[in-house]
Amino acid sequence: MNGGRVLVVDDTPFNRRLLVRLLTSIGHAAEEAGDGREALARLRDESAEAIDIVLLDIVMPEMDGHETLAAIKADDRLRDLPVIVISGVDELDSVTRCIRMGAADYLPKTVDPEILRARIEASLAQKRMRDNEQALLATIDRQRSQLSRFLSPQVAALVSSADGEALLAGHRREITAMFCDLRNFTGFSESAEPEEVLGFLRAYHAAMGELIVEHEATLEHFAGDGFMTFFNDPVLQPDHAARAIGLAVAMRQRFSSLSDDWRRRGHVLEIGIGIATGYATLGRIGFEGRYDYGAIGSAIILASRLSGEAAPGEILVTQRTFAAADEAAVGTPAGERTLKGFVRPVSTYAINGMADGTPPATPSEEVAR
Amino acid sequence: MTLDPAAMERLLEITGGDIEFVDELVDTFIDDATTQLDGLRAAVADGDAATAVRPAHSLKSNSVNVGATTLAELCRALEADGRAGTVPDLPGRVAAIDIEFAAVREALLAARASR
Repeated sequence: MNGGRVLVVDDTPFNRRLLVRLLTSIGHAAEEAGDGREALARLRDESAEAIDIVLLDIVMPEMDGHETLAAIKADDRLRDLPVIVISGVDELDSVTRCIRMGAADYLPKTVDPEILRARIEASLAQKRMRDNEQALLATIDRQRSQLSRFLSPQVAALVSSADGEALLAGHRREITAMFCDLRNFTGFSESAEPEEVLGFLRAYHAAMGELIVEHEATLEHFAGDGFMTFFNDPVLQPDHAARAIGLAVAMRQRFSSLSDDWRRRGHVLEIGIGIATGYATLGRIGFEGRYDYGAIGSAIILASRLSGEAAPGEILVTQRTFAAADEAAVGTPAGERTLKGFVRPVSTYAINGMADGTPPATPSEEVAR
Repeated sequence: MTLDPAAMERLLEITGGDIEFVDELVDTFIDDATTQLDGLRAAVADGDAATAVRPAHSLKSNSVNVGATTLAELCRALEADGRAGTVPDLPGRVAAIDIEFAAVREALLAARASR
């Protein structure tokens, strides 16, 4: 084990010298303090190297061992520092009191080098384990916030949660999938300058991304002009169908202000959205080195097919989704659609808006921006 | 016993036979003891037994480490009485500690000279 840095707190130079000498000879760095006040000042000095262990005498002038120990335990940044109390054989009452106050261990005054070595090493191991734990927790926190920039916040939270592994391994659940993409994006990207295309995509992703986060949808993936999102997983959302339609309505409205802007520059872009509800298998999908949190099931494919079927600015949902939304949305029957890969025609509804009129109309100044 | 030679052997043993360091330690013991005796004499002058507790305590534990068995015992008894609140014959007991310390000091220096 690598040596630690030990602070010897004792009012008699004799004891300090002896302890410092013994500590140094067993590979630790040692510093001295003549009383509790001096010790606390040293421990709180952030410009000095951090102390790993405190060896604390009980009977001292100024601030004695009990007071010093109480001050260490009351200090958030010092609380976890192991304190070993040094005591004479006739001070066992004090030792008991110190251990109740949080001291890690005690050493007899007539110190035996082997016992000193063993106790210091035990406390040091404990301290290092705690330090590692703290570092690990900080890393997890940092990773979570980093991950949430790449993954849906729900998936980022899932990765570091207690039941995350089981959910990632795969599970079945009813979800509502929502797919949206643009009608004539290929034409636009051929006719427009690459910088224009990128500029448009940035604005489009930013606007849609904001709504996806706001509506707490799980983003499965986005590619170019298409977004696949779903609801009710990994976070349960009993109103998943209504939520998906709500997001689609908000997207359509936000998109119209974006596309007005682009129409003035001579580019006609239209959004089409498909929504379907059904069971899917969800979890980690991919290969070593690149996994995504994904969904597999007919609802996903159905949502994507309906998005393809949708007329410019249309939100097409399956009858099942429309029924599940339970009158939260207003729609008109849009016929039975025969879709590629689906044997039976699918009953659909076109969504006019939400029953409660959300979202409110976007103020015009926001459009200009 | 004024000086138990086993304690000195033990100090040598735990410091890996570093005689120079043990000599320094003995000098530190003598310096510390001088301060502690000042504290004890002040307690006598003030007639305040409570203030004798801390110096008696420190001198006791240092004495154990250098093998000053009698000195350690005198200090231990004084510390215990001081904590209990009454020290019969404080001046006489501090004088006895003073005398015993002088003997310990002699013995320590003699042991060093005889090497």
